[in-house]
Amino acid sequence: MKNPQNVFLTGFYWAFVAYLCIPLALLMAMSFKDSNFISFPIDSFTLKWYASVIQDKQFLGAVGYSLMIAAIVTLVATIVGVWIALIAANEAIWGRAIIFALACLPAVVPGMIEAIAMRIFIRLIHVPTGTFAIILGHTVHAVPFVVIMAMTRLRSMPSSLIDAARDLGADNFIAFFRVTLPYLGPALVGGMIFCALTSIDDFVRTFFLGGYQTTLPMLIFAKISGGMSPEINAMATLVLIATAAIGLYAERRVRRARN
Amino acid sequence: MNDKKQAGMPARRIRYNSWIGQLARSPLYAMTIGAIAANRRARLIVLIAVPLAWIAFFNLGPILQMANISFMANYPVMDGDAANYTLAQYKLFFAEPLYFVPFIRSIIFSLIVTASTLIVVYPVAYYIGKVIRPASRNKALLLLLTPFWAGEIIRVFSVIMLLANRGAVNALLRELGFIDRPIPMLYTYFSLGFGVVYLIALYMLLPLYSSIEKIPNSLLDAASDLGAGPFQRFRRVILPLSRDGIISGCSLVFLTAVGVFAAPLLLGGPNTVIFPEIIAQLFHGSNDKWPAGAAFSIIMLIFSLATVGLFMRVVGGKNVRLM
Amino acid sequence: MTFLIPTRRSTLKLMASGAGLLAAPSIIRPARAADSVLNITTYDKFLPQDFIDQFQRDTGIEIRIRLTDDQGKQYNLLAAEGADPTTDIVTVAGHRISQFLASDLLQPLDTDKIANWGNLAKPYQGAPQLTTDGKVYGVPLLAGFEGMVRNTDYTKASDSWELMFDPEYKGMTTYIISDFLSITMKYLGYDGDYVEYVGKPEEAQAATNAARDFLIEHKDMVRKYYDGASEVQQMLVNEDVYVAQSWSGAASKLIMDGFPVELSIPKEGTYGFLYSFNLVKNAPNPEAAYKFFGALLANPDVGAAMVRQSGFASAFAGVDALLSDRERAAIALPEEQIARIQFFAEVNRDMKNEMIDKAVAEIKAA
Repeated sequence: MKNPQNVFLTGFYWAFVAYLCIPLALLMAMSFKDSNFISFPIDSFTLKWYASVIQDKQFLGAVGYSLMIAAIVTLVATIVGVWIALIAANEAIWGRAIIFALACLPAVVPGMIEAIAMRIFIRLIHVPTGTFAIILGHTVHAVPFVVIMAMTRLRSMPSSLIDAARDLGADNFIAFFRVTLPYLGPALVGGMIFCALTSIDDFVRTFFLGGYQTTLPMLIFAKISGGMSPEINAMATLVLIATAAIGLYAERRVRRARN
Repeated sequence: MNDKKQAGMPARRIRYNSWIGQLARSPLYAMTIGAIAANRRARLIVLIAVPLAWIAFFNLGPILQMANISFMANYPVMDGDAANYTLAQYKLFFAEPLYFVPFIRSIIFSLIVTASTLIVVYPVAYYIGKVIRPASRNKALLLLLTPFWAGEIIRVFSVIMLLANRGAVNALLRELGFIDRPIPMLYTYFSLGFGVVYLIALYMLLPLYSSIEKIPNSLLDAASDLGAGPFQRFRRVILPLSRDGIISGCSLVFLTAVGVFAAPLLLGGPNTVIFPEIIAQLFHGSNDKWPAGAAFSIIMLIFSLATVGLFMRVVGGKNVRLM
Repeated sequence: MTFLIPTRRSTLKLMASGAGLLAAPSIIRPARAADSVLNITTYDKFLPQDFIDQFQRDTGIEIRIRLTDDQGKQYNLLAAEGADPTTDIVTVAGHRISQFLASDLLQPLDTDKIANWGNLAKPYQGAPQLTTDGKVYGVPLLAGFEGMVRNTDYTKASDSWELMFDPEYKGMTTYIISDFLSITMKYLGYDGDYVEYVGKPEEAQAATNAARDFLIEHKDMVRKYYDGASEVQQMLVNEDVYVAQSWSGAASKLIMDGFPVELSIPKEGTYGFLYSFNLVKNAPNPEAAYKFFGALLANPDVGAAMVRQSGFASAFAGVDALLSDRERAAIALPEEQIARIQFFAEVNRDMKNEMIDKAVAEIKAA
C-alpha cells in the first residue's frame, strides 16, 4: 500500500462503505429512540421496541417463512438459471440471442405487472395461491440474475478445460460437474446472493401470489402503512445483525476449510 | 465429436476418486445419465428442452397474458361480455406527450444511474479484487453485502432519515453552526439518484468483482515491467479484461433501474416523475386502466431489452458471442 | 469470487433439506379449505388477536388474515383472481368502492342475516353511504375525511384551503393529487365530486381543467406528491412540509402521539368516506362471513382497536367510551367543521375517475 493509487483506492473503498452503512447506522440508532416519531435528535433511549418485536410471534413466523421460501427459490433458480445459461452461451445453438432476451424478460417487467400477470397465469394453469405459487413467482424473477451472471462467466471459459476433462475420461455430465460448475462457482455464488436477496425482499409478487401466511416484507409494509415507527427499525436491525452474524460465521468456516 | 463411437462400449476408466467418480462408475449412472451423455441427440434434447420449456411456460406465459390484456378495450371483462380487441392503447402512448416524455425521462435516468453506478463501483470492485490481500477479500465483501439484506423499503426509509430536513445531515450541519435553516435535499433528482444507486449498487459490484478478480496478476506485472503507467495499465489491460463484468453489471443495473418503482415514489419530488410511476398509476388509479398499463409495460419491456442488446453489441464488439 | 464457495457436502445438505421442504405437506396444502375457514384481507392490527381467538373458539371457524397496505393492490388482486377469489372479505375505502362495484367484485349484503346490525352509530344506521340501488354493499367500520394539517409551531391558523397556496410555505406543502384535485375544484367553486355534471362532460372538463391549471400554476408550492399515509406523517415529522392535505386518520394518529399538528376542515369544505368490510362476489365462505359480521358488531372493542390503529372515527356505537381522552380529542372536531364534510356520491363515477386520472397525469408531467 505504498503507491498513491492504492491509497486513493483504499480511501474510495471506505467512502463507499460509509455510503452504504451510514444510513443503516442511523436506522439502527433510531430503533432505540424513546418516541413514536422517527427524526433527529434522539433525546432518550429505550429497549422497549426490541422487547415488543421479540415477543411478536408474527415477526418470528414471518422471518422463518421468508427464509424457507428464499432457500428453495435460490436452489431452484440456480439450477434453472445455469441450465438456461448453458444453452444461451452455446454457439452451436441457433437463436441464442432470442433465448437470452426471453430469459431476461422477468427481470425487466416492473414487479407489479409481473405479479398481476403471474396471478392471472397461475389461475389459468390451476395452481392455487400459496407457498408454491410464491416460490414459483420468486424463482421466475430470480432466474435472469443467475443467467446473466453465469453466462458472462461461461463466455470467458477456455474450452481447453472441458477438452482436458474429456481426455481424462469424463463424459459431458461429469465434465460439467467437475469443470464447468467449479469454474462458474464465483459467478454462481453472486447469482445465488441475488436470488436470496430478491426473494427475501419481494413484496409485490408475494402479495399477489401468496396465501394467508405473512412474509417479512408483507409484515413490514403492513406496519409502515400504519405509520413509520421505531418498531420497524428494530425489526430491520435484528434482521441485519442476524445476516451479519451468518455472513461472519460462513466466512470463518470458509477460511478454516481452506487452511 | 467421438461420442457415437463410445456408445455401447465399456465406460472409459474414470480417474476421479471423489463421490462423483464413484457415481460415474456405478451401473445406475451408466444406464441413466451416462446413456444420455453418450447419445448426442438425447444430450441435446435434455440440455435444450428443459430451459426452453421453462422460458416458454413461465417467462412467456404471463407476459402473453399481459400482451393479451393490452389489446383489450377494457379489463376485467364482465361476465357474459365478449372482449373487444383494439390497438388504441398503443396509439395512446405515441399520441400523448404526457406518457412519452416520462418514458424518455425514465430511459435517460436509467442510463445516468447505470453510468454513475459503474463509475462509483468500479474502483471498489478493483480494490477488493486486486489491491487487498486475498485473505481479507471475503471480509471486505461482507461489509458491503450486509447492508443489502435490510430490504428495499427499509433502505429507502434510511435514506430519508439521512437527507430529510430533520435528518442526520441537516441536524449535524445545524449543530456545527454551518446553517440556520435546513437545506432541502429530499424529493429532488439528487435524493432520487442517491437512493437508487444505493439500492442497486450490489448488482454492479458482484459481476465486476467476479471478472476483475480473475484477471491474472502476472498480466498486470508484465504490463508494469513493460513500462505501462497506472492509467495505461488500466486502459490496455484491466478494462478490456473486465469487459464481461461491465457488460453483465450494466445490464443488471439498467434493467433493474428501468423497472424500479418504490424508490422514485418515495424519494422523488414533484418534478421527477418517471415511467414506472405512470404505469403504476394506470393500475392503481381509481379507474380501470389495465389495458393501457399493460400496453405501456410491453413497450417499456421491448425498449429496455433492445437497449441492453444494443449495449452488449457496442461494448462487447464483434467477438461477443452473445448477440 | 472466492466468497462463500460452498463445499460439496454443504451443497448436498442444502439440496437435501430443500427437497425435504418441498415435500412438506404445508406447501402442498391448497389455499382454500372447507367452510370452517374465513379469509379476510385487511390492514395490520385492524382485528385484535383477542377478538379473533374468541371468534374462533365460539364458532370453530378459522380466521385467516392477509395483510394489505394499499387499496390499489387489493383491487388489483381481486380483479386478477376474477371469478375464483381466494378471499371472502375485503376492506375497501369509500373513495374506491365505486371501482369495486363497477368491476362487479362485491356482492350485496343481506342485512337481515347480520346479527347486531343495529349496533351501528346513528349516522351509519342502514349504511346509506354504502347503499346503491337499494342494496347494501358493506359493513361500515370507520369514517374519515380529507383534512388540512398544519404544523402549529411554524404556521399560522387558517380556516381556508388558501393556506396550501400561501407563498410563505412555498415548497413546504404536500398532497395526494387525485384527492386534492377534487378539493381544489371545490375551493374554486366547482363540484369536485362531479354529481352536478351528469350528462355534461364539457362543463365537467372545463371545471377539471381550471383546477388542474391552478395546481400546475402553484406547483412550486409542493415539496412532494405523496401516496400513502406513512409518507405524509414522516414528512410532517421531519419538517419537510408544514402544511398538507391528509386523510384524517394519518393526522389524528400524529396528534394521538403528541406531535404538534392541527387537523381542520376548512370553510370551503371537504370530502368524506367510509372504510368498510365487504363481501366478495363468489366468496368461498359467505356463511362464515355473516357470522363474523355479527360478532364484529357486537364488540365495540374491535371498533376501538381499529380507531387506535387507523386514527379514523368508528362507525360502531359505544366505541367512544372505550377511548382515552387523548384519543377522543385527536379524533373529535367542532360540530360546524364536521358539517362541512360531503360524502362521496355513487353517481357519475366513470366520468369523474376518467377526468381526474387524466388531470393527475398532466399535473405530474407539467
